Amino acid sequence: MKGHPSPIGPFPNITTVLSESFLSQLDTLALVQRQRAHGQLKGMHRSRRVGAGMVLADFRPYAEGDDIRNIDWGIYLRMDRLMLRLFEEEADIPIYLLLDASQSMDHGNPGKLEYAKKLAAALAYLGLLNHDRVNVAAVTDTVREVLPTRRGKNQAPQVFRFLDGVQAAGRTSLQGALRRYFAAPRTRGLLILISDFLDREGLDESFAILRRFRHDVMLLQVMSPQERDPQLPEEVVLVDAEDGTAHELEITPALLAAYRETFERHAQGIEAYARKYGWGYARVQTEVPLEDLVLRGLREEGLLR
Amino acid sequence: MRFLAWSNSTALALLAGVAALIVLLYLLRPLPRRLIVSSSLLWEQVLRSRKRRPERWRWWLSLLLALGIGSCVVLALSRPEVATISGAAEELVVVLDDSATMATRTVYGTTRFEEARKRAREAIERGGLGSRFMVADTLRQIATPSFQPREAALSTLGRLRVSSAGVPVFPDVARPLDARANLQVWFVTDGIAGITPPPGVKTLSAYHPADNVGIGAFDVRPVPGDPARYQAFVEVLNASAGAKRVELRISGAGARPAARTLQLGGRARALETLDVSAFDGGVLRASVEAQSDAFDLDNAAYALLPMKRVVRVALVTRGSTALEQSLRLVPRVQVTVVAPERFSSGRGFDAAVFDRVAPKTQPTVPALLVRPSWAQWLPAEAGETGELPVERWDASHPLLRSLSLRDLVVERAAAIKPGAAGAEAGGFIQTIASGPRDEPLLLAASAGARWLQLAFNLEDSNFPQLPSFPVFLSNAIDWMTGEPPALDRPLGRVRLPAAGARVTDLAGARVAVTSVPGATLFDAPEPGVYTAVTSDQRLRVVVNALDPRLTLVNASPLADAPPAPSPARARLLRTDPWVLLLIAAVALLCLEWLTFHRRVTV
Repeated sequence: MKGHPSPIGPFPNITTVLSESFLSQLDTLALVQRQRAHGQLKGMHRSRRVGAGMVLADFRPYAEGDDIRNIDWGIYLRMDRLMLRLFEEEADIPIYLLLDASQSMDHGNPGKLEYAKKLAAALAYLGLLNHDRVNVAAVTDTVREVLPTRRGKNQAPQVFRFLDGVQAAGRTSLQGALRRYFAAPRTRGLLILISDFLDREGLDESFAILRRFRHDVMLLQVMSPQERDPQLPEEVVLVDAEDGTAHELEITPALLAAYRETFERHAQGIEAYARKYGWGYARVQTEVPLEDLVLRGLREEGLLR
Repeated sequence: MRFLAWSNSTALALLAGVAALIVLLYLLRPLPRRLIVSSSLLWEQVLRSRKRRPERWRWWLSLLLALGIGSCVVLALSRPEVATISGAAEELVVVLDDSATMATRTVYGTTRFEEARKRAREAIERGGLGSRFMVADTLRQIATPSFQPREAALSTLGRLRVSSAGVPVFPDVARPLDARANLQVWFVTDGIAGITPPPGVKTLSAYHPADNVGIGAFDVRPVPGDPARYQAFVEVLNASAGAKRVELRISGAGARPAARTLQLGGRARALETLDVSAFDGGVLRASVEAQSDAFDLDNAAYALLPMKRVVRVALVTRGSTALEQSLRLVPRVQVTVVAPERFSSGRGFDAAVFDRVAPKTQPTVPALLVRPSWAQWLPAEAGETGELPVERWDASHPLLRSLSLRDLVVERAAAIKPGAAGAEAGGFIQTIASGPRDEPLLLAASAGARWLQLAFNLEDSNFPQLPSFPVFLSNAIDWMTGEPPALDRPLGRVRLPAAGARVTDLAGARVAVTSVPGATLFDAPEPGVYTAVTSDQRLRVVVNALDPRLTLVNASPLADAPPAPSPARARLLRTDPWVLLLIAAVALLCLEWLTFHRRVTV
């Protein structure tokens, strides 16, 4: 694709989002879907429907009008009955890729949002590779930007362009964003939520919404090294990037230790929730190269195969 | 408490200023940095979970530590004086008895003076910081005592030595200082010198009993009736409590020493007479030796034995009974009356006395001329004077030793012009006695063979009737025969009646002298015989410590003193507060460093 103009208009050079070598490595990977696919279109995921497929699901007596190519002639020879082989139909899955684009994601070195956008691009690319319907949305306290469903690898540039255009703004309210996003009917699928989960309104209600719609959920918590282990002067005024709240602190080793402990407890709480309900969870540390995260980290977490 | 470096108000002002500066610096700390974070959500949870402990105490702790360090440094620089730590400041006058008996050795192996100095040193060491000390002594070795800091006072104390010069008296140091409230005057003595300190002076005893045997008196005299023989008279004192076996020995030139062993009871004395005729003329040394003798100064004494025991005198006269009989009264003089026409050169005589005659040329022997006829070598005469009393005479001259010319009356005398003397006499003629208008009555010439001239005839005066006449003749014989009588002096500074003298001791070594107008001074710290030579005379000075008050080294009213403590112990007891303050500042600095690095105060 490099160097070829897009038929749907200008889009960013793909290497500004992901390198070609990295994309080529992604060709061998696929997103792990824990539930049966509920997609209506032909895909690469096992579904509850029987029909054309490669995996034998059951047998039934032949009826007039059935495709004779599925008659099991072995059974006929042994039992003198015409039995029809039924195959699991392979369907696509809808992938809902929600990217937290609140102001809190615009911090860290490397920046959390930039890192999250590249990660989202990589995961979206995997979905497009597997002919899944990829839905990408940038959320804050609402659904700020939505990319209509895309399917097929040739749609990757549009997804990348969309992600490239996402800018950090607004405050975080996953609850509000999820309510708004799922206000429209959505087929059950794989929901990938990439966020720092620093939500003043709490996460319980947000996660309850996700449980209610029984999606297969993958939580990717983005964290920068500055958040995990802050290096602060002795006296500092910390200003919240989203609401401007200021706190004058006398930084002591004990306070820093308490913060690190709180941060870890916060991450562990999200992870525990995810494990409890069979969701996927991974910590996305921005200082780790994206290639390492995707090719090794997420596979080790069982989110990719 | 007071401050030694500055006044109290200055020190307190400095302390307040430093404290204010520290507090100001703490209040003027920079504003905290504003830092935007992705979310303060977790920080708020941390702050909620952690009870809002009063972190201000860290600030206060740091401030207090800084104030403590600053205060300690300022106070240390101010040199505070705290009585409970460093002792109270006082003014202490220490008067040391440095008289001769302080050289007596004690049973501790030291001398009384060293023990006294230890006590004085201890007193000075014990004095509080800021104290000032004056060190004085009873013999005025320290000419102008003044208050000094401790180290200077100790240095002054270390320079003091026992001296045998002068009479010990309590120095005049306390009288002008009586009004001072914190003044103490200590007097450290062995009590032998009998010095009575002024009221209010604390007397510390440096007395320790000691054994001593010494010579109380020593003299050499001719044997009456036999002037050629001499006897030595020696008084030996035993100041010890117990009996002593004493070896008395008299030594001199030309014979073996005369020795005698004495057995002296406790606090007893012995008078011994020894024949010293066998010795040649010159120095005689008497010495005593006894076991455990603790005082050396009185163990030896010196005397001079005349070189010429018999002086042969030719009396050239046509007849003078008074003169002849008076000459015969002079010890060791052998008189031969010679008629004037029979006197030639004086060979065979040691001196000659010319009565109303004079040889044409100066005789080869010393001569006494009584109203001589005029000769070329004698001063010119200008007639005769009437009756005149003796108005002026040089009492210091050896010729007039031990006599007075106050009662001498001369009816008629030759009017002599000393300036018109013969060539041989030159300018060496000295007028010894003169009348109201400086009429010379007694002349002395010391160039070549000495001669004396009386300007009047004995029959024209009352001189032969005066008791001083034989004494005069004796002095004249002594002076003319060139052996002037030795000067007896006590130990200490000796004053010689001659300016610009060169003084040597018995070993011939030069002695340092101080010349003053008309006299020469030198120090004689030990008994001995000194020789002083001037341009026209040679004097022998016999210096002895013949004083029973020195020998009786146990005649003290003071109690036996305990051994003096070591000065190091006193030094350990005193600590400078500024040192403690600096240690405290360093400790606080370490604490500040520790709390900072342990992030207690940050």
